[in-house]
Amino acid sequence: MEYSNLRHRAADMRKSLFDQGYLDEQFYQLEELQDEVSPNFVEEVVTLFFRDSARLISNIEQTLDKCPQDFVKLDAYVHQLKDSSSSIGASRVKNACTLCREYCDEKNLEGCLKLFHKLKREHAVLRQKLGSYFQLLRQVGPMEIATRPSM
Amino acid sequence: MDPSSRAAASTASSGRPRDALRPLSDFPVGLRVLVVDDDPTCLKILDKMLRKCLYDVTTCSRAVVALAMLREKKGEFDLVLSDVYMPDMDGFKLLEHIGLEMDLPVIMMSADDGKDVVMKGVTHGACDYLIKPVRMEALKNIWQHVVRKRRNELKELEHSGSAEENDRQRRLLEEGDNASSVNEGSWKNAKRRRGGKEEEEEEVEEREDPSTLKKPRVVWSVDLHQQFVAAVKQLGIEKAVPKKILELMNVPGLTRENVASHLQKYRLYLRRVNGPQHQGRLDTPYTGSSEATFHSVGSFDGFDLQSLAAGQLSPQNLMALHSVPGRVTNTSIGMSSVDQIGFFNSSVEISNASNMRPPLMQQIDKKQMNFISGPPTSMESRQLGQSQQLVQSYGSMGLQTSEGASGLFNLPSSQRASTTFPGGSINANLSNSLVMQMTHQGPQFSLSQQQNQIHISMPQLPQTRGPIQNGIAGEHDSRLSTTIAQILPNDISSDVLGSSGSNMNVDTSLPGGYMNASSYGSVSHALYADFPNSCMNESTGSCYPLARSAGATSLTSTGMLQDVMPPVGNVEALGSSAGLKGAKDSVPNYDLFSELHQSKSQDWKLQNINVSYHSAQQLGSKQSNIAFGCPSLAHQDSIATIKDGSCRNTCTVRKEIFSVRTEIGHEKGECIAQRNSTILLENSVRVKAEGMSDHSCQDLLFDDNIIPDELMDAVGKKHQEGVVQVDPELSFDGYSSGNSVARWLPPNDATSYGLLQ
Repeated sequence: MEYSNLRHRAADMRKSLFDQGYLDEQFYQLEELQDEVSPNFVEEVVTLFFRDSARLISNIEQTLDKCPQDFVKLDAYVHQLKDSSSSIGASRVKNACTLCREYCDEKNLEGCLKLFHKLKREHAVLRQKLGSYFQLLRQVGPMEIATRPSM
Repeated sequence: MDPSSRAAASTASSGRPRDALRPLSDFPVGLRVLVVDDDPTCLKILDKMLRKCLYDVTTCSRAVVALAMLREKKGEFDLVLSDVYMPDMDGFKLLEHIGLEMDLPVIMMSADDGKDVVMKGVTHGACDYLIKPVRMEALKNIWQHVVRKRRNELKELEHSGSAEENDRQRRLLEEGDNASSVNEGSWKNAKRRRGGKEEEEEEVEEREDPSTLKKPRVVWSVDLHQQFVAAVKQLGIEKAVPKKILELMNVPGLTRENVASHLQKYRLYLRRVNGPQHQGRLDTPYTGSSEATFHSVGSFDGFDLQSLAAGQLSPQNLMALHSVPGRVTNTSIGMSSVDQIGFFNSSVEISNASNMRPPLMQQIDKKQMNFISGPPTSMESRQLGQSQQLVQSYGSMGLQTSEGASGLFNLPSSQRASTTFPGGSINANLSNSLVMQMTHQGPQFSLSQQQNQIHISMPQLPQTRGPIQNGIAGEHDSRLSTTIAQILPNDISSDVLGSSGSNMNVDTSLPGGYMNASSYGSVSHALYADFPNSCMNESTGSCYPLARSAGATSLTSTGMLQDVMPPVGNVEALGSSAGLKGAKDSVPNYDLFSELHQSKSQDWKLQNINVSYHSAQQLGSKQSNIAFGCPSLAHQDSIATIKDGSCRNTCTVRKEIFSVRTEIGHEKGECIAQRNSTILLENSVRVKAEGMSDHSCQDLLFDDNIIPDELMDAVGKKHQEGVVQVDPELSFDGYSSGNSVARWLPPNDATSYGLLQ
């Protein structure tokens, strides 16, 4: 059955996102917030996140290019990114941010750069994965995602 | 509870229809929260989470805007959630500002969980510090801070206060207002307010002669009135002479003259109450229940005591109350409160108004109630009448909307008289629904004065209570809430808030603190003590002592600590229904009130109406302009300018928001009591100009009662104003919500102050 297959695929995809640490507990919270009033809440939030974080990332890049020694500014941006990503449960991105901030505190530019690139990568990967996940979800239609995958 | 009325009750800002029967446990519902976070993702998530908790949410991404919003709509919020790291302003700085100016509980949030940051939060005065990502569970309990704060405030008040109610009230009123006004630099408002207040107080004494408000007045708070009534009862109404009453009351600072004039009013009230003798809606349950004590009032037909409690006394309720003069008291209704209310009502313009003055605020004070049942029937009936009056007064009181705050009880068309209820803000919802609700519920008036006395006059029904409570409770001040909380049985509060549904947003589901503040029928702030007093006394009708958000909302919504009382006490145009009618058109979208009333044409919920009647007094004319600043979303702070055609008193009712307001989530029935000091003044003026466009205030005029008329006007105006939608991002300088929204013009622009015609 096509539908059932799709559903399974979506469920699997979701599970793997959790298993691989791309998403964490917070994502559950988002899912729980989704209801009939806002049926696409999760997708909306995620979309919002990516839009906003893309902006932040480009800000960071600019800062790194122009005034890489401005750790205060860098730290502020990364902090913001960390806030956002943690609020949607993007755990890998969040971790990268945390590490990056540490380097910023130490004024370690090299470390900062390294982590920033990592951060960027994780961000891109997550975006792609969540993108396909939501696409699949749309095909499936409203699906009960209530149960947390046993981890 | 009348289902239709309930339905009519506008839902809390969340749009949920209020269920009048919602139990008190709903208290946190409707808590008015302001969220400040620069991150849109977080903001969206928080918004959703808070809505899921059934809170009333306003989001804002910039601290500066948030601060402006808070200043503008004082009393419209119960709680602030703020991020620490923000680009335009440091979260801690914002925290300081808020603490200084508005004294709202603030919760900080951050992904940063370093000890020093958390410590910084604590030292700057944050109530709590949440680590991001924030979870639902954490948010569910934020209401406790509102409650706690309110309780503390109330306690402070008690301790610091002299026996004089007015001092306390004044303090309350001034605390918030002054602070803000000082900070704001809008002395005008502050002065006005203060002036207004004083005037209002004067009114108390000079009811007979409204225009001469010169002497320092004693503010007949609910408490005081109750004491008075108790003394009178003890002596026997026939034998009660001022001297003896004074002795019995034993209140320092009270003079024989005070008592004498009060007694005079009281007698008038009784006469009035006993006159009609029509047992309108009041049903029997009135006396029956053991709980009846609450009931007695409650049984007023259509009179939602709850709403009364919440400060919102729907006109119908008032009527109901009124109609049952005899009923009174079988149930030991906390007549004391009711008495007070009623009495106040009478003092206020009620004389003109029809007798229906349902005891809005029946403070159900168990003790009192017993007392009431004690006294002879005649007294009872009198009491009933009183309660009616109270109710009425409440109606006029335009209780603070805010959430919980007392709402103005809109007296049913016939009634009008809702005079301001002293001490408590009665959210009188004019909305018929309320009235109906009220009746069903039994009068539950929680007059929560600033002091802890929140009497919840709850008559009967636990179930009906809900609405009222909410409205009133919520209201702002925790003060009220606390008291109410104490008194009110849970159900009441919920009822109060809930019931008002239409009007009383009593449930501003404010957590804890709601009760008084927020929960009071949404208008948490409801009942401001000041408001009632001032308003009530105003014979000129305009002063509605809007239950100042906090205390006032005594809407006793029963214990509902609703911090966020949604604007309680929809300040329904207390005026006559006729008046209301006019207003109906422009039913404001006051959060609490508007919601409630929207359905009802009559719903004038004045949510958070800050009515400062000071000006009214000055004018001595009847017009009281209650400027309601009703944020549609928010809570209330609506300044309703009630304009009475005949008199031009502009009373700006400030709504102290939030503290008592609407505790109970949905109902924002705030009594107009909200103090929005700065805004009020301005707004009131403004409202007039703006709001009135839609409908002439004239419509709003109460039939005869000045106050109600005024309230009505105010309400009407409110609509106009009130419709201001709270747009988090938007500074409230111009609400442009359509035509009806009154724009908040800058204070300086004192256009026809209050007299929009």
